[in-house]
Amino acid sequence: MFKIERGGEEHRKLSYNDAKCVGCGICTDVCPTSSLRLGPLVPIARGLIEMDLISVNVDSCVFCGLCSVACPFDSLSLEINGENIKDMGNYPFWDVESKVDDEDCIYCGRCYSVCPRDSILFERNLPDPVSLIRGEIEIDKDKCIYCSFCADLCPAEAIIIKNKPTSSVDLLNNTIEVDLSKCVQCGVCKRVCPENAIKQICSTCMLREEISIPEITGETFIVEDDCVNCSWCSEICPVDAISITKPFEGKLELIENEAEEKICKGESCHACQDVCPCNAVSIVDGKSVTNLDFCNLCGACVTACPQDLRVLTRTAMNLQNINSESWNEILNTILSGK
Amino acid sequence: MAVKIDSDVCGHIENCPVQGLCIKLCEQGAIIEEDGDVKIVPENCDDCDLCIQNCPNQAISKA
Repeated sequence: MFKIERGGEEHRKLSYNDAKCVGCGICTDVCPTSSLRLGPLVPIARGLIEMDLISVNVDSCVFCGLCSVACPFDSLSLEINGENIKDMGNYPFWDVESKVDDEDCIYCGRCYSVCPRDSILFERNLPDPVSLIRGEIEIDKDKCIYCSFCADLCPAEAIIIKNKPTSSVDLLNNTIEVDLSKCVQCGVCKRVCPENAIKQICSTCMLREEISIPEITGETFIVEDDCVNCSWCSEICPVDAISITKPFEGKLELIENEAEEKICKGESCHACQDVCPCNAVSIVDGKSVTNLDFCNLCGACVTACPQDLRVLTRTAMNLQNINSESWNEILNTILSGK
Repeated sequence: MAVKIDSDVCGHIENCPVQGLCIKLCEQGAIIEEDGDVKIVPENCDDCDLCIQNCPNQAISKA
């Protein structure tokens, strides 16, 4: 996190939020005064060094704001007289999206469990299981001998028996109860009871038309501030309820050169895997494999690879509204890839 | 092939900004601590070059 400011006719403030930064280095590439520096990606990702991914030289920064509009992850913001330039309308903006359609979402929670940035808020309300079961159970306490066969075998652990007297006074003070919130009317207790003390009828099947189909409600919400548009959620969603627009189109390749001994060392190194904000990189058979479905083409892995084997080609980017010719020239260098 | 450390530039753990970053980064056990200094175990080196790339003093190079 940093915040630097410059007074004068206009008050300009550049702020950096490390929590959103993925270490792509795009800001350092576009800075016209080379005032931004990318820290050591791998040691930071592995927690060996505690520092921000990006640092700034406050003496050379001219507060132009190019870095803030170039950042696809909104880690950098430039404010002029208190207003963020991304809200001004005449500055470029990233036309990216990460959205859940409430109408289609069935609240399975798969997206929530796979999101590599923990940027999905998810909660659901499941029906009371008792409302889906019909049946009756009754224990004849005069017949019960408190043997515990039923309690030990109950798959739902719904039978609670107190059959250990703590003193000679309460020798006969045994109890047996069925927790109806757990009982599924399976009938195991009835079948195992040696004294035929349990009466149980499951009527779920014959009353199945009467038992209403449960409505599962909930909420699934992507916190766009934390999202890096990797597409894990939309790829895994079984009902296509999530739409993700990635910042870039293109490809990422691993190009080895055995003659120059430029070879992926897989598990020995796994730098690419550690820095990937998308959890898109795996080591398979000793080599780094990137699943482009989940990759946002940020290029952090390209910088991190000590063998320099990764080639990123960006063919299109969703940075819109570039009105200045000089900015267009600089911002288009993002497309040249790494 | 392994790597070598330029002893004049190396922080020797004590003066390394990260107290032996190369040792912490190398998962092959090819760079270890011995008597408070950095030692290379060439037979363990897999030539991944992670240490070369990340040494804060740029003291490591190909042997």
